[in-house]
Amino acid sequence: MLDLQGYGPRLIEGAGVTVQLAVLSLILAILLGLLTASAKMSRNWLLRRTATVYTTVIRGVPDLVLMMLLFFGGQIGVNAISDMLYYNYDIDIYINFNAFAAGVLTIGFIFGAYMGETFRGAFMAVDNGQIEAGKAYGMSNALVFRRIRFPQMMRHALPGLSNNWMVLLKTTALVSVIGLTDMVRVAAEASRATHEPFVFLIPVAAAYLLIASVSEWIFARLQKRYDIGFGGQ
Amino acid sequence: MAATPTPLEVRNIKKRFGDTEVLKGLSLEAQKGDVITLIGASGSGKSTFLRCMNLLEQPDDGELYVHGEQIRFKTTKHGREPADWKQVVQMRAKLSMVFQSFNLWAHMTLLENIIEAPIHVLGKPKKEAIEHAHALLNRVGLSARANAYPAQMSGGQQQRGAIARALAMNPEVMLFDEPTSALDPELVGDVLKVMRDLANEGRTMVVVTHEMSFARDVSSKVIYLHQGLVEEQGAPDDVLGNPQSPRLKQFLAPKY
Amino acid sequence: MLDISAWFNDLLADNLIFTPTTLGYYWEGLVTTTQLVFLSLVAGLILAVPLAIMRSSKHKWISLPVYLYTYVFRGTPLLIQLYIIYYGVVFIDGIQETFLWPVLKEAFYPALIAFTLNTAAYTTEIFRGAIKATSKGEIEAARAYGMSQNLMMRRIILPSAFRRALPAYGNEVIFMLHASAIASVVTLMDLTGAARFVYARFYAPFDAFLFVAAIYLCLTFAILYFFRFLEKKLLAHLRPQNS
Repeated sequence: MLDLQGYGPRLIEGAGVTVQLAVLSLILAILLGLLTASAKMSRNWLLRRTATVYTTVIRGVPDLVLMMLLFFGGQIGVNAISDMLYYNYDIDIYINFNAFAAGVLTIGFIFGAYMGETFRGAFMAVDNGQIEAGKAYGMSNALVFRRIRFPQMMRHALPGLSNNWMVLLKTTALVSVIGLTDMVRVAAEASRATHEPFVFLIPVAAAYLLIASVSEWIFARLQKRYDIGFGGQ
Repeated sequence: MAATPTPLEVRNIKKRFGDTEVLKGLSLEAQKGDVITLIGASGSGKSTFLRCMNLLEQPDDGELYVHGEQIRFKTTKHGREPADWKQVVQMRAKLSMVFQSFNLWAHMTLLENIIEAPIHVLGKPKKEAIEHAHALLNRVGLSARANAYPAQMSGGQQQRGAIARALAMNPEVMLFDEPTSALDPELVGDVLKVMRDLANEGRTMVVVTHEMSFARDVSSKVIYLHQGLVEEQGAPDDVLGNPQSPRLKQFLAPKY
Repeated sequence: MLDISAWFNDLLADNLIFTPTTLGYYWEGLVTTTQLVFLSLVAGLILAVPLAIMRSSKHKWISLPVYLYTYVFRGTPLLIQLYIIYYGVVFIDGIQETFLWPVLKEAFYPALIAFTLNTAAYTTEIFRGAIKATSKGEIEAARAYGMSQNLMMRRIILPSAFRRALPAYGNEVIFMLHASAIASVVTLMDLTGAARFVYARFYAPFDAFLFVAAIYLCLTFAILYFFRFLEKKLLAHLRPQNS
């Protein structure tokens, strides 16, 4: 049997942090991605431009550098705000820059750019006739989006979404570098303390493979659901 | 005069795409029970004209009245636009369109397609919408296919389903955009039969079509368009039986 | 020359963070990052070609081990792979006494090994996809001319597969550049390592990281345009002929 030398509970806690971080980041990334895609397809020049700069810069810079910038810079920004409040308004509050929240914000922000590209392609793949039929029957833009555009878009978006999720999941490992105690950090600490890296790092690698396999299964089921009505039966 | 307002009236509709003016000032008035057929060669602007009536295309000029209510426009830097999209949405709910390529929503079953707009646009209770939908499916001969997805149905079935979807809105006017053009010849008959029945029961319809027999037998008025203008219009017997303009004569001449 | 260095010193005169010394760190970081990325990409590419051919084999016992390798290396974070190799090597009993130690303790080589194995796995799958996409007609034509399996692979399938793989491989190169930032985690002074050093020294995260982000952005664009240029040259035959 695997002897985790007392690190077992902490590893499991770390796995919990990894999964929570990944899921919350994914939700944020999807919301940002939808916003980005709409901005890119908007008639407004400024919105289009902003979205393009966002996706270009994010995709041109390493995740780790962005993470450090937002994490270390975020702490200084928060301190500056609380200083300003203290000196100017005599409000004395200490805002703690939460590492977990910073991780979610950073990863969500990074993958929002990738999701934006995925969603834009998927929205453009929806047949215009389907949208026109909605409009012709008196649906408002919001209703067309909710009932027609979104469900039909998802079919095209799911492969990209699934791919982004797999990359996002692996990216969460980087938060261990900025001080969050996910399963990678626990395993690295244990390796250093016990000089037995394989005992801790290989199970963690296996855990990533397990999460990836489970997600693959979930995405396959979702794809089936959104493929309903598009032939192949 | 008339106690009920005119269901649909458009005046002096103009539309250009880039440098080409496709509609050069077209008007049309559909009284209750009218079946107006728009005919013309491809490129004559008949489909664009129809799509301007429910503002799927934005006309550059002209007026639009639905059930006596005038649609308000404003001019922005993108061109002329409706001033109040809420008004447009309400207007569209009174005009159901049947498309050339059916455009049944692919991710919904036929039944779901039919109850979608009545529930979410008109706010009908679901139970009532479903009952009505079944009655309509029965009427277009598709009772057995209520739970089929559009991709599982033939073109003719899809188009009859689309007509049931249009009827479920209980529309003031039905707009048909070449409803049989995408169908195999042997499937055209079923769809035309449904449309004839609708005309006979007094539905107000505006139909863009290539089916001359339908135009001759069913419509109360035929309008022949040529390059964005009305070339000839009137009772079907006059327009189709005794064409005046050489272009219409040529258009109606049998082609071999 | 004197003018330029005088101008440069002037420019930096009022800047407390970007002194010639810190810029020297960034420069060393750029050299380390370039070496790491370039060497691992070359080694990964050399490994990937035979692996992709094996992965495309009809025999399960040849293709399955390669599939397992790519599945594991693509399914787990590079950081874990780096840790396993780095700690795995460092903590081997008695390694400190061997002649290998001066090389291995550098962290550069464990990082290079991890990056190479990682990019080889991704590149293998990219090539496999490209090999699979070879048109049936081209293969049949080769058979009809009496080519052996080997000759066909060498003369027909691989050349066309390489070209098809180019856009995806360009993405992989950019991905590797970005992934290399984690080398700083195992004490390597790459670009990100230099930025972390400057941040820690001056507590100036915006200056330190925005500057390095700009460098990465430039490198990314350089790679992007290089591959666009290559595609234009090598994929010209796939574009529709105009005029």
